Amino acid sequence: MAGADPEKLIAKADKLTKLTLTRWSADWRNATQYYEQAATAFRFAKKHEKAKVAFEKASKGQEMLSSSWDAAKHMESAAALAVELSIWGEVADFYKRAAELYNECGRAQPASDALAKGARALEDAKPEEAIAMYTDAFSLLEEDGKENMAFDVYRAATNVYIKLEKYTDAATVLLRWAVAANKSNALHSQCKAYLSAIIVYLSAHDFKQAEKCYNDCCQIDTFLGSDQGHCASKLLSAYREADVEEIKHIAKSSTISNLDHMIIRLARKLPAGELVPMQVESLENEEDLDEDNLT
Amino acid sequence: MSVIEILTRVDAICKKYDKYDVEKQRDLNVSGDDAFARLYAAVESDIETSLQKAETAKNEKNRASVVAINAEIRRTKAKLLEEVPKLQRLAMKKVKGLAPEEFAARNDLVQALPDRIQAIPDGGAAAPKPTGGWAASASHTNNIKFDSDGRFDDEYFQQSEESSQFRNEYEMRKIKQDQGLDMISEGLDTLKNMAQDMNEEVDRQVPLMDEIDDKVDKATSDLRNTNVRLKHTVNQLRSSRNFCIDIILLCVILGIAAYLYNVLK
Repeated sequence: MAGADPEKLIAKADKLTKLTLTRWSADWRNATQYYEQAATAFRFAKKHEKAKVAFEKASKGQEMLSSSWDAAKHMESAAALAVELSIWGEVADFYKRAAELYNECGRAQPASDALAKGARALEDAKPEEAIAMYTDAFSLLEEDGKENMAFDVYRAATNVYIKLEKYTDAATVLLRWAVAANKSNALHSQCKAYLSAIIVYLSAHDFKQAEKCYNDCCQIDTFLGSDQGHCASKLLSAYREADVEEIKHIAKSSTISNLDHMIIRLARKLPAGELVPMQVESLENEEDLDEDNLT
Repeated sequence: MSVIEILTRVDAICKKYDKYDVEKQRDLNVSGDDAFARLYAAVESDIETSLQKAETAKNEKNRASVVAINAEIRRTKAKLLEEVPKLQRLAMKKVKGLAPEEFAARNDLVQALPDRIQAIPDGGAAAPKPTGGWAASASHTNNIKFDSDGRFDDEYFQQSEESSQFRNEYEMRKIKQDQGLDMISEGLDTLKNMAQDMNEEVDRQVPLMDEIDDKVDKATSDLRNTNVRLKHTVNQLRSSRNFCIDIILLCVILGIAAYLYNVLK
């Protein structure tokens, strides 16, 4: 069996699976074996297209043999080869199918890993698709209660959003990250996520949102008393006073330098735009209203 | 060492050991009956020692000893100033064997004493100024002190030079300290963040480790079972001696087969 021509193996396996007059039931066991061997042989010979096809068929075979785990593994291999061939549609499909198969086994972690891998591969080519896959990935983990494994996925999703300059979406993901961190008792990550969200809102020139976000986050004691909370309040007051020097100084501080590098880049670009002096007036009106409400 | 230095040193040593010079003491004791002369001589010697101390203070590098010497000088000056009224009273008294010119001269001498005493440089104005410089608002209190001292002569400026130097040095040292502390605080911030991240990472890995632990335990027990069963089976098949012969023969056959395979390939 070793050393047999992979083409011949594929042909044999196909014969085994095709139902004809002489064959009433397909012999999936042997066929799957042949497919697997052929696929590894093709991969070794760097014939990616043929290897991909072989892996697909092997996965189908494993499905028929009701071993979703092996099927999912083969799907992933097929998808990896599709990435090398840059057939993005197939990449997305294969990884999604692999994730489904993993889910059938009841293993959410590998499923989310598969989706994350797919999304990473698609980041440059099809960012929206990538974002959808990332979202599915961390939703899967959230449902399963294993959010503490999802931090990397959140980070990757945020980065893609920031690259696409969809700041509100990025901030939403960050806040979801903070919720996950809270559930897994990772308070430091939670505070960092809040601070990142505030910075993202400020980069989107949305000072009111940033302030609202800060006020919401201050309901949480850990954030209020943390370094990140203090940094956020300093940043917002610097914005209020339209003090560019102070903003730049805060952006260089160590608290911000410990966030993700995309966020650091955004922070260094603050204050963005000439909205800075305008904010002061609008905020003074708001403060008057607040005082009235208090009295 | 130059000649002048040797001379000054010798002078100082002689003065120090004058009290052991019997002849000189006899001369001094001549004026022993005259209270005024005695007191005046004592005051004079005190002024001399204070002036010497002031000299050493000027050349001293160690700030603490400068301050100590100046404090001593000021104490001596205060004591001497108290003695001056006594001297004045003594000067008024008539002493037998004293010429009238000398009597007048005594009065003049006594009058000149307070000025001479005050003239001893004690860095007195300088001392409160450096300590005042420790606080920001102290300069105002220093000005008040100066006014009450009523000193507006050259020594005022000389001391402010020293004290301003001192204050500059202090400021520079303070700035250097602040810089060092800033660097330390930055390092600590980084450490704190890294430590917190590590903390979370380890927390995340604890349940994984528990899972691995369980699985490995299960695998070990499975392996152990399998090993035991294998041993039983093998023992049942053959006794040990035959078993060894079996294995050796098997290896020989495999060797031959491999050789043939290599040859035929």
